[in-house]
Amino acid sequence: MSEYTKPLPTITDENREFWEGARRGKLRMQKCRDCGHIRYPISHCCPKCLSYNFEWTDLSGRGEVFSYVVFHQLYNQAFKDDVPYNVALVQLEEGPRMYSNVVGVDNDAVKVGDKVEAVFDPVTPEVTIPRFRLRQPAK
Amino acid sequence: MHPLRDKTAVVGVGASPQGKIPDATALSLAVEAFKRALDDSGLRKEQIDGLLTMPGSTSPEAALNYLRFGETVGINPRYTGSKVMGGGTAGALLHEAALAVNAGFANHVACVFGDAAATGGSRFSRASGWGDSFAIWGFMAACANSAITAARHMALYGTTSRQLGEIAVACRYHASLNPNAVMRKPITIEDHQNSRWIVKPLHLLDCCLISDGGVCVIVTTAERARDCKKPLVLISGMGQAYTTENMEREDWWYVPHQKLALADAYKMAAVGPKDIDVAQLYDNFTSSVLVWFEHGGFCKVGESGPFVEGGRIRLGGELPINTAGGNLSESYMEGWLHIVEGARQVRGECGERQVKGAEVCLVTGRGQALNCANATILRKG
Repeated sequence: MSEYTKPLPTITDENREFWEGARRGKLRMQKCRDCGHIRYPISHCCPKCLSYNFEWTDLSGRGEVFSYVVFHQLYNQAFKDDVPYNVALVQLEEGPRMYSNVVGVDNDAVKVGDKVEAVFDPVTPEVTIPRFRLRQPAK
Repeated sequence: MHPLRDKTAVVGVGASPQGKIPDATALSLAVEAFKRALDDSGLRKEQIDGLLTMPGSTSPEAALNYLRFGETVGINPRYTGSKVMGGGTAGALLHEAALAVNAGFANHVACVFGDAAATGGSRFSRASGWGDSFAIWGFMAACANSAITAARHMALYGTTSRQLGEIAVACRYHASLNPNAVMRKPITIEDHQNSRWIVKPLHLLDCCLISDGGVCVIVTTAERARDCKKPLVLISGMGQAYTTENMEREDWWYVPHQKLALADAYKMAAVGPKDIDVAQLYDNFTSSVLVWFEHGGFCKVGESGPFVEGGRIRLGGELPINTAGGNLSESYMEGWLHIVEGARQVRGECGERQVKGAEVCLVTGRGQALNCANATILRKG
């Protein structure tokens, strides 16, 4: 496996739970202890009630494709072997939305509204990136 | 009557040469635009006592641009500053200038922008998101945000790529009538369909240009404007609104703030969509234009795809848009040229591309990751 050259997170005290969760195969986000809002992106402060009190909570990892694009233009050389690659805006069951990739299928096989679930892609010993795969309609 | 309606005016507009101008800088292009706008207004430099600027993507001084520009042209303004809201800046500064002259903070405010983005490399491919940037998942570049909008609009409403193409083709046709436009060779829907994907569902011909150029717009009170050189162009309505929550707000993709900005501008001017003779709609990507029609009440939610078909948005149609070619084909001045063209249409000085009898022009701006929006109603005085 060649060296991973694509952008990686800088692990900080603020985001460590998210990335450690991903390493353990869990999608984790911050839940406000005062108003219960589950937020993303990661922040020290609840954007709804401004509370600093929160806990990290495990999410189901399930969601659906809210919008979906395919990058053909190469904006960053690190992705030169990947284009065309997809990015989905995923609506998670618990409320938040996040950008990620849908893996395991052709780019053309994904459409808005498709049900997805998180999978975990260890790209370096330290970093595992949450991505998504299509859920079978029967499940 | 709204206290700001028709109280201020655009009295001078100027644009430098546009395109790829290797021996120019963001600053030199802005200075040339300033000189041309002064000439257009008939004002002397000494009368400019307000200066609002937008630093280009190639302006090293960034938000201190007002100092650099002011020093270069020898102005010591009573009111000044710089603002950085991407394509939402031009309209926001126009409004700020109107408020400043109305309040008496300054008598004549020059709003100035210059950029050498075509020559100097661009920063338009950066990733969005703070901290853990979305580039981890490969999400980057301005095109991607608009592609998110386009893809969801297509999925919800059946909008097609060919309908987006109608906008590209109309803008190019208008640019073909504009001697100062960068891209003047007419295109067809087939050309649009055959152009390569950038971020699917957007093709190359759905995307704006990257350009060198400068633009300046001079604002004063309606009363003072009557003494200026050109026919009176009143700022009749203004509105701004913003959505800064990209991920937290479910309908962020649909830029809901645009509707608020338009509603405020209509209300101030006491007009509605039926009163608009010509519109300069911010077109960083074709899909952005679609949403303006819906938020502006020109058609219903989800119906902008069919709306743009059949020549409706071309010269001679019911609602001609981007009559100089827009960001897509005239030059990418991040919406600054939309104000210039709006003023020229209302003055009736657009020659071959003039919308006959145009008295009310809507000008819109939007910027950043679908975050910033503004709308202005310009009216013949």
